[in-house]
Amino acid sequence: MRNIAAIAWREARTYFTSPLAYAVTGVFVLLSGYIFWASLVRFSELCLRFASNPYFSSQLNVNDMVVRPLFGTMGIIFLLMIPVITMRLLAEERRTGTAEMLFTCPVTSGQVVLGKFLGAAMLLLFMLAVTLTYPLLIMGSGAKPDMKPTLVGYLGVLLMGLAFLAIGLLISAMTENQIIAAVGAFGALLMLWVIDWMSESATITLAAVMNTLSMGLWEKAGFGTGGPTLGGLLSSASLIAHFQDFRKGLLDTRHVVFYLSVVFMALFVTQRVLESRRWR
Amino acid sequence: MLEVSEVTKVYGARTVVKGVSFSVSKGEILGFLGPNGAGKTTTMRIITGYVPPSGGTAKVAGFDVQEQPLEVKKRIGYLPEHPPLYREMLVRPYLEFVARIRGVPRRQMRARVDRAIERCGLGEVRGRLIGLLSKGYQQRVGLAQAILHEPDLLILDEPTVGLDPSQIREIRSLIKSFAGEHTVILSTHILAEVTMTCHRVLIINDGRIAAEDTLERLAARGERTRQVALRLARPGDGAEAALRALPGVAAVTAQGGAPAGFVVEAADGQDAREAIAALAVARGWGLLEMRPITRSLEDIFIEIIRESAA
Repeated sequence: MRNIAAIAWREARTYFTSPLAYAVTGVFVLLSGYIFWASLVRFSELCLRFASNPYFSSQLNVNDMVVRPLFGTMGIIFLLMIPVITMRLLAEERRTGTAEMLFTCPVTSGQVVLGKFLGAAMLLLFMLAVTLTYPLLIMGSGAKPDMKPTLVGYLGVLLMGLAFLAIGLLISAMTENQIIAAVGAFGALLMLWVIDWMSESATITLAAVMNTLSMGLWEKAGFGTGGPTLGGLLSSASLIAHFQDFRKGLLDTRHVVFYLSVVFMALFVTQRVLESRRWR
Repeated sequence: MLEVSEVTKVYGARTVVKGVSFSVSKGEILGFLGPNGAGKTTTMRIITGYVPPSGGTAKVAGFDVQEQPLEVKKRIGYLPEHPPLYREMLVRPYLEFVARIRGVPRRQMRARVDRAIERCGLGEVRGRLIGLLSKGYQQRVGLAQAILHEPDLLILDEPTVGLDPSQIREIRSLIKSFAGEHTVILSTHILAEVTMTCHRVLIINDGRIAAEDTLERLAARGERTRQVALRLARPGDGAEAALRALPGVAAVTAQGGAPAGFVVEAADGQDAREAIAALAVARGWGLLEMRPITRSLEDIFIEIIRESAA
C-alpha cells in the first residue's frame, strides 16, 4: 500500500511540476467551457423567446440543454487527450532507464501498475474538479438544474475517463516510444468508441457465425441459431454506448460494472505485460 | 553473501552470458573486469533480478533471485550503467521517493536520506533539479540512490564513468568505505579502478569467466617473466654475441640507443642475472642498469582476454 501511494504521488507530482498537467487541463477547460457557454447562451435565448408561452417554456430544461451536451463534449475531449496523459507513464520509465531502478526495488509489478494508474487518475480528478464550476455557474444564473442527474453525469465521465486511462496505460507498457504509446492508445480508444457503429447493420446472430465457422456442427449439436446479434455484441463493447445513460442522468449498475471491468481487465493485462519481461 | 552458479543468458540467437559461476563473501569488494560487451551488465542485471537468467541460479543471502525476488531486492542497492534519475525531480524528493519504495522505515527516512546526501557530497545540490545537474553530480545522485537503504549487497555498474579525476577519487574512496559492512560488486573496463578499490578480480570475456584471482596473485603473474633489460655504457662490438654465449641465456635483442640497451631472455627455469653482471664487470662494459621486465596489470589483462578468446 505504501509503495502504491509513493508511486502514485510521484506520478501526480511529475504531472504538476511539468507543463503537461496545466496544458491538458487548460485546453480541457477551454473547450468544455466554450461548449458550456454556447449552450448556456442558447438556452437563455430560448427562455427569453418563449417567456410568454407557458407551454414551451415548461419544456425548456437546463439539464437537457446545457448539462447533457457538456458531458458529451468532455467524453470527446478525453478521447483525444487521455493518450497524451498516459503515453509517458511506462514508456518513459523504460526509455530513461529508471525502470531499471523501479523493478529492482522491492515492489511488485502490480504495485507499479496501480501506482501509475492512480497517479494519472489524480490528474483526471483535478481536470473534472475544475469543471465543477459550470453547474455552480448555472445555479448562480438563477436556473435550477437538477443536481442528481448532473452528479450521475460526472460519475459517468469519471468512469469513462478511468477506463481510457487504464487502456492508455496498457499501451504505454508495450513500448519504449512515447509517440507510439500515444498513437496506439488513441487508436485503441477510437476503435472502442466507434465499434458500435456496426450494431445496426451487423444483424447476423452470433450463433449463425459459429455455425458457419464449425461447418454446420453448431446447429446439429442443438445450440440453435437465435440469440444475440454480432452488432449487439459489438455495441456492448463500445466505450461510448455505455456512457449515454449517464449523460441522461440515469444510473444503471450495468454501465458502472462495465467501466470497472474495463479498468480491471486493462490493468491486469498491463501487469502481465510487465511480467512478460521475465520469460522473454 | 552472493552465489552465482552456471548463469546463462540467451537473447534470440545470441548467447551473452555462457555459464558464469562465482561467489562473493560478506564485506568483500569484487571487481568485474572485462571489455565492453563482455556480459558484465547482463550478469549484474541477472543478480538484481531485472533480467531473468536463461539458465542457472543467483542467490543473495540464501534467497534465489527468481524464487524470492522481493527478499533479494530488499537486500541490494543497484546503480545501473545509466543512473536511473527522474530528471524533472529535485534531488531530495527523488531520494525520499526511492527511500520509500526501498522500504526504509518512515522514522529513519530523514536520517537515511541525510546520510546518503552527506556521504555522496550532495549537500550543495540537494534542492536542485536533477536534470540540470552535471554528469558527475548525476552519477553521485545515482550512487546515493543505491546506498540510502544501507543494502547488504551493493552492485555498481561502471560507477566512475563520466567523472573527472578528482570526483573519481572521491567515489573510489566512498566505495572503499563500504567494505566490511557491505558487500560490493563493481564492474569496470578501467583497470586502475580495480587496482585501487577491489580485493578480488573477476575477468570476464565473451560471456565467460576468463580469470578469477586476488589482485596480488594477478600482479604476481606479471613478475614471473624471464626477461631482463640491460643498459650498458660501453658495450664492445661483441657484447651481443658474448651475452648470447652465456649459460642459461636463450635470446638477446639489441635495442640500440646510447647508452645501449639489450633485452636478455633467460632459458626456462634459469636465472642469468648473476652471470650477466659478472660478465659485464669482467669486460668493463659499464653496467648502468639491470632490471627484470615485469608486465603491468594492463598487459596481464589483455593477455588473459586474448587467451580466453583463442
